[in-house]
Amino acid sequence: MIADERRSLIWWAWVGDHLDDIWQRTVEHVQIALIAIVVGCLLSFVLSVIAVRFRWTFKPITRVGSILYTIPSLALFGLLIPFTGLGLLTAEIALVSYTIFILVSNTVAGLDAVPAAVKDAADAMGYTWWRRLLTVEFPLALPTVIAGLRIASVTVIGLVTVAALIGNGGYGALINDGLQRSFPTPIVIGSVLSVAFALLVDGLLALALWALTPWRRHA
Amino acid sequence: MVGDTWWVNSSTGRTPICTATARFRQILAESGRAAISLVDVTKHFDGSLTTAVDGLSFEVATGEIVALVGPSGCGKTTTLKMINRLVEPTSGTIMVLGADQGSLPAHELRRSIGYVIQQIGLFPHRTVRRNIGVVPELIGWDRERIDARCDELADLVGLERDLLDRYPAALSGGQQQRAGVARALAADPPILLMDEPYSAVDPIVRARLQDDLLALQDTVHKTIVIVTHDIDEAIKLADRVAVMNVGGILEQFATPDELLDAPANEFVASFLGRERGLRRLALRKVADVTPIAGPSVTPGASLSAALSVMDDFATTWVAVAEAEVLHGWLSRETVEGALDPGDPGSTVGDLPLRPFGSRVSPTTPLREALDVIVNAHSRMAVVIERDGDRDRYLGMITIDEVAGGLES
Repeated sequence: MIADERRSLIWWAWVGDHLDDIWQRTVEHVQIALIAIVVGCLLSFVLSVIAVRFRWTFKPITRVGSILYTIPSLALFGLLIPFTGLGLLTAEIALVSYTIFILVSNTVAGLDAVPAAVKDAADAMGYTWWRRLLTVEFPLALPTVIAGLRIASVTVIGLVTVAALIGNGGYGALINDGLQRSFPTPIVIGSVLSVAFALLVDGLLALALWALTPWRRHA
Repeated sequence: MVGDTWWVNSSTGRTPICTATARFRQILAESGRAAISLVDVTKHFDGSLTTAVDGLSFEVATGEIVALVGPSGCGKTTTLKMINRLVEPTSGTIMVLGADQGSLPAHELRRSIGYVIQQIGLFPHRTVRRNIGVVPELIGWDRERIDARCDELADLVGLERDLLDRYPAALSGGQQQRAGVARALAADPPILLMDEPYSAVDPIVRARLQDDLLALQDTVHKTIVIVTHDIDEAIKLADRVAVMNVGGILEQFATPDELLDAPANEFVASFLGRERGLRRLALRKVADVTPIAGPSVTPGASLSAALSVMDDFATTWVAVAEAEVLHGWLSRETVEGALDPGDPGSTVGDLPLRPFGSRVSPTTPLREALDVIVNAHSRMAVVIERDGDRDRYLGMITIDEVAGGLES
């Protein structure tokens, strides 16, 4: 009887018994993902500003970003472990590096798409370069920036499950546990919650874009 | 304000003034001091084989509207952009309000120079109100003062206040252009630069915006430099016109009238086009010519007197007028038909008079008056001035008077 239930896709009694454990994994997953997304955003913003200000740096930056993006995540963990060991730092370095290509490409594309007349007008009104970037160009680039952020976030949240392999917990730990014991329930729970979290963040970002760009609704 | 010490010549000698009050601007306007002067300015763009602007020198007096015209590639926009340093000159000096404009950070200089461009360049993510308030915000006005200024400017440029809280995308081209002008005027800069401001709107809106600019200028007295490829726009708006040629060469810098009357060379003449005479007429008004009495009799005149006036002028009609009142006109047929040898006492006032169709007023441009004249059977137009609620008759004009208007 118990053996049958263990083999079924989901064993609710186990779920009920392990709510604390699932909550713990959720907190870990959210933490790892958010750190990567926030650090990725900050780093990408800095890199985007450099790429826009010094045009010649754009190609090298995106080139490196795209190479990082193509390295399989497991391989990247493997490459980093000799330097940073097992643990959170290694996971974050890998996750952040996956966000950079998407975020920098989209941010630069968004800034480039700001109409030249708007930039000229801002200059002519007496904006300094920074003020123009932050209060004129960046708000107008938001739709493209946030589109990139949505892709990057969903990617990172999915990849956090892989980070469990180097001992970081999160939903990946549930999945690993299930795989090792041929026990479907934690696999299903970990996967479904990971997907749900990704969808939630994606939805929140879409909502944020809507809230931050009122001018797109009143044209 | 670009701040060096300002000097005005008055009866008591040179007087320094330091604040930019309205009175101060007026004094400057009267003293005729140059608001902008370019001295031997050259611009060579990197990687370009040709020179964009070549040794350009000219001055713009305070309160004056100067138009830069010329074919594409003549460097007119580059010249304009060098004034507010959107483009840095390769060599030469540009003085703005008496100070070398290079002595100030570019962004600070620009806050004292209004700028209007063809594509307008309103910020799509800000309401019209916040667009207009851009420069006041940059120079640190408080919200309340900015809002009050926006309302005032909306009225000044003819933009309904309701539109202030919309986003630019909700405005028509003409409304956006007005918002662009309001934005340029927001911090009351002494100088306004306009780069083909009306090329993107349709001709009807354009004509109205041009009229509005002239009316606005009567109120604000800015020093305005406007770039256009449209010679008619330049003639209509500018006090002086700088005609530029490819390679940034200044061919002629003169009032529209001088330009049309005496183009400096073949290039200027061909740029002005074939209708130079007509364009000059557009600059003059009926008030600039002296009307004639023409074939005219008083209502008390006898019929035979009317006939002899028609004989003298070789016309088939005669006007009936006295002092400043025009009663109408009579045809030779009417007069001859009424002529009764037995009653020599009847006067033209007794006959049924017909009203004149071809009327102009002293403010009618001569070009328009000419059109009225050539379309009239009588080949003349009567000049009527509306004075309160009554009409004053000033006389008649014919093609001769109109043509004479070009000689003065």
